[in-house]
Amino acid sequence: MRRDGSRGGAGFLALPLSVLLAFTLSGCRKEEPAAPGAPPAAARSATLILGGYTTPREVYGKAIIPAFKKAWQEKTGQQVEFRESYQGSGAQSRAIVGGFEADVAALSLEADIDRIAEAGLITHDWKAKPHGGMASDSIVVLAVRPGNPKKVADWPDLTRPGLNVLTPDPKTSGGAQWNVNAIYGAALRGFAGAPKDDRAAARELLKKVFRNVSIMDKGARESMTTFEKGVGDVAITYENEVLIGKQAGQKYDYVVPRSTILIENPVALVDKSVDKHGVRAVAEAFVEFLHGPEAQRIYARYGLRSVDEEVAKENVAQLPPVQDLWKIDDLGGWKKVSQELYGKDGVFTQIMTELGSKR
Amino acid sequence: MSAARPRRPVGGAGRPWGLWGLRGAVLAYLALMIAVPLLAVFQRGFRDGLGAFWGELSSPIAFDALKLTVLVAAVTAGINFVMGTLTAYVLARYEFPGRRFLDGLVDMPFAIPTLVTGVMLVVLYGPSSVLGGWLESRGVSVIFAKPGIVLALLFVTYPFVIRAVQPVLLAAERYEEEAAFTMGASKWTVFRHIVLPTILPAAASGALLSFARALGEFGSIVVVAGNIPRRTLTAPVHVFGEIEAHNERGASAMSVVLLALSFGLLLLVDWRQRRKVQVLRG
Repeated sequence: MRRDGSRGGAGFLALPLSVLLAFTLSGCRKEEPAAPGAPPAAARSATLILGGYTTPREVYGKAIIPAFKKAWQEKTGQQVEFRESYQGSGAQSRAIVGGFEADVAALSLEADIDRIAEAGLITHDWKAKPHGGMASDSIVVLAVRPGNPKKVADWPDLTRPGLNVLTPDPKTSGGAQWNVNAIYGAALRGFAGAPKDDRAAARELLKKVFRNVSIMDKGARESMTTFEKGVGDVAITYENEVLIGKQAGQKYDYVVPRSTILIENPVALVDKSVDKHGVRAVAEAFVEFLHGPEAQRIYARYGLRSVDEEVAKENVAQLPPVQDLWKIDDLGGWKKVSQELYGKDGVFTQIMTELGSKR
Repeated sequence: MSAARPRRPVGGAGRPWGLWGLRGAVLAYLALMIAVPLLAVFQRGFRDGLGAFWGELSSPIAFDALKLTVLVAAVTAGINFVMGTLTAYVLARYEFPGRRFLDGLVDMPFAIPTLVTGVMLVVLYGPSSVLGGWLESRGVSVIFAKPGIVLALLFVTYPFVIRAVQPVLLAAERYEEEAAFTMGASKWTVFRHIVLPTILPAAASGALLSFARALGEFGSIVVVAGNIPRRTLTAPVHVFGEIEAHNERGASAMSVVLLALSFGLLLLVDWRQRRKVQVLRG
């Protein structure tokens, strides 16, 4: 065997050759039309690829998409097929940037759509759409055991020693940042036992709450699953997660803190994908449909708050009111919050470091 | 087949492409599958220089995650070393009903998605189960604490030591053991002085492999650990968090450390086995 060492050149050539071959092959595949529903223009069917985050899987899959298909066929005679992908909002956003050719992105937070826009895949001003590009709303609430045995009513109650609080990890779940923002913001607004605009006091409140957090699951749904298994006294979560759990027969209640944040979930059409697939018309119609009253009523049926004022009024009796409801912009917008709370020296990062193993 | 083979020169002198084609293809495959992805991780980890690399690892959260990971992996490897050796011995040297079934069961952890392992453990030890409720009433927390992590790792790495030791036991000549028995040695004496020296290197290799595997485990841990920084956050879960938080450099830096640890250990296993072969040959 060793004698062959002199001919090593051929073997070494094989490596770069195969690498080259592999790249060429994958390159070729990209040139083929990705969607079977690509032009000719008046095609009888079209395929839309929806890249969503996990929470609204049921809303889209079971209700909104069938409703849109029906409406679109009645209007144009064209059949729309959907290919749906659901994963964590951040992961979905990265997948789209990385080459997953979703025609429509429905994500948990603005920053995840912004990333797609910054990558040049969304070329229009998506926030100029109705409702600022937001398709659905919710609020951050506290899920408690039936009958609220621990008498939890508001943010400061979460600091009580011995209470076991669940919340997803704001690092692994961008959506979980809503929860942390809600506590911090409520404190800054003077609604959580801390003086108004007192950053040190808000930080202290957040720290005391997280001293009671013993489990941070990687996503909102996982966190609720843990809660459903009987772990914990309180779960900080979204109102629609609680409502959908209750619809599925789970036994828990929820309380709305006096002051909480309005969760806004954006939807945007991905220009580069729709143009490549030749499905702009139907994709635009779908996004428009999401903002329309029919889809808004469906969102509401699945526990989300409607962005449409008319529909919201219809449901006002079913959803508890919030004394002080505010938006991310009241904290200075996502960019500022990301830095102030979750950056390398952010408040949240510092708190987790300080709490350390002392608990 | 047996008639054709001896006519071919072993060195493949007459048909270089045939031999080098296979070798080249295999090497290229190895490079594509393993080396290139690993290089990409290294490249990303060091792209901004050693200072940035170190900066990512020196934060208390990252450092503690690494410490915890090495600790639970070491505990896991230690338990596997003892229990795996005993299990392999029992499976290889005793006849009892259901032995074949149990032998097949050993490999099951490889077939189950580790995420399922995690969910299963939470159901089993969570407060709503009988066992979990009993443990909780005694103030013992298993799940969402370090013991839960070790339990998950033990499940995931169960086969390593057993499957390393078993073939050695089955291949070993038994006359020494039998001679010792006839001379009146107890079972323990035979195990301690005859069996153990034979299988120790294999057991150690298996334990090191399970250590390396435990370092990288994510799916089950993310469910059972609770993931509280500096307490129950392990390095792979930390890596996931950094990726989700768009800190690719931090994720790569930690991955490089985990890789280096695993790679170092595997080299160690390899070196031990080489040495063993040399000893046997010498």
